[in-house]
Amino acid sequence: MKFNLAFAIETLPVILSALWTTIWVTIASCAGAAILGFLLEITRRSGRVMSYVMRFAIDFVRSTPLLVQLYFLYFVLPFYGITLPAFVVGIMGLSIYYSGYLAEVFKAGIDGIPNGQFEAAQSLGLKRFDIVMFVIAPQMLRNIAAPMGNYFVSILKATPYLAVIAVPEMLGEAMEVASDTFRYAEPMLTVGVVFLVLAVTVAHLVRLMEVRLLKSARR
Amino acid sequence: MQVGALMKSGSVSHRSEVAVDIVSLNKWYGTFHVLKDINLRVKPGQQIVICGPSGSGKSTLIRCVNQLERHQDGQIFIDGREIDPKARALHDLRRDVGMVFQHFNLFPHLTVLQNCTLALRRARGMERREAEEIARHYLERVRIPEQMGKYPSQLSGGQQQRVAIARALCMHPKVMLFDEPTSALDPEMINEVLDVMIELARDGMTMLCVTHEMGFARRVADSIVFMDGGRVVEQAPPSEFFTSPQNERTRTFLSQIL
Repeated sequence: MKFNLAFAIETLPVILSALWTTIWVTIASCAGAAILGFLLEITRRSGRVMSYVMRFAIDFVRSTPLLVQLYFLYFVLPFYGITLPAFVVGIMGLSIYYSGYLAEVFKAGIDGIPNGQFEAAQSLGLKRFDIVMFVIAPQMLRNIAAPMGNYFVSILKATPYLAVIAVPEMLGEAMEVASDTFRYAEPMLTVGVVFLVLAVTVAHLVRLMEVRLLKSARR
Repeated sequence: MQVGALMKSGSVSHRSEVAVDIVSLNKWYGTFHVLKDINLRVKPGQQIVICGPSGSGKSTLIRCVNQLERHQDGQIFIDGREIDPKARALHDLRRDVGMVFQHFNLFPHLTVLQNCTLALRRARGMERREAEEIARHYLERVRIPEQMGKYPSQLSGGQQQRVAIARALCMHPKVMLFDEPTSALDPEMINEVLDVMIELARDGMTMLCVTHEMGFARRVADSIVFMDGGRVVEQAPPSEFFTSPQNERTRTFLSQIL
């Protein structure tokens, strides 16, 4: 069977029909992973006991394969009466898995803030929540824009995993075309190109954001 | 809350007899005994200068007053209220105690004005306009007129330290702590900061200053405390301190820095 460019282009609309699913699952997962990761890291810093518990949680999610976590959430939870729609499980899975990595990134970002910043905020009588939100988080984000962006690209590229739990994202659509027509090369090439374009776009946006953050820093 | 009452410089409506009372204070870093049985009493409106060689515990002492360092033994009273070093939440205490650091510690991601209004809005729950009014007042007092929209990194060291003083004053503290406020400054900027501190002292602000600026100490201090090896070795008014120091170590120290 020869590679058929015309057929590759023909598969494009089918694959693009899942573009929005991929995009918003990515956005939701990035937000979920960032919020969860930040909570993990902030809680980890709030006391010795919490430090051990959160350290374990972070290592646990980082040390089990994403696919295993997804299957677990999708197939095992229903045994305990928890049945969730596939895309919810998908977003949860990606959020939890990447929260472990982002927690590490946030750790580095917070470690890079001089101790005097905490002391100044404390000595002004700010409460812990306000110190975290208004003093620590903005400076942390400036320190870690680039590595955090890399993980956002990784999350985008991890969305095809959700095909295994029947989330109708782009790889799933491509697989469907393939199994209907027994032609794999064309849909796989097309889906690869679409991901390439998306990933390059996200990477570019991250770089723009980084430049803006650095400009606002002017330290 | 009344802005007018808050903005009145350095005065507090009701005051206890002693602004800061430190009683038999002891602190250890592990097995190292940093503060040994410190007793120090600061009356409202008094200015106390603490000096001594590095490692003598003077910074640690004033950092205990707002509990950036926790003490293990002894008592600290601020305006009659005892501080509990085991308390988890100390923000109530810290709102009443302003602190100025050696390295300014301004928030680099906020403008000068926002540096001053953050705590007013988040810790005092003020509206933005009200907070900005107070911030402007104090920024004018430290002579940072047209720089309110700038970021700290755009200012000189002396300007940054004056902003840091204004930021602390905005909270209308009962006492101000200065931890070597001029040590990180280029020589030509030291005076602009000292001038602001002298004015503050004249206006009756209760101040505890760790500093090596003996000229400043001579001019404003009600009392100079000399620390060495974690102890208060000598405490005297400037006139006595500089002319007839009682302790041998004080004499040695003075001969080295004067």
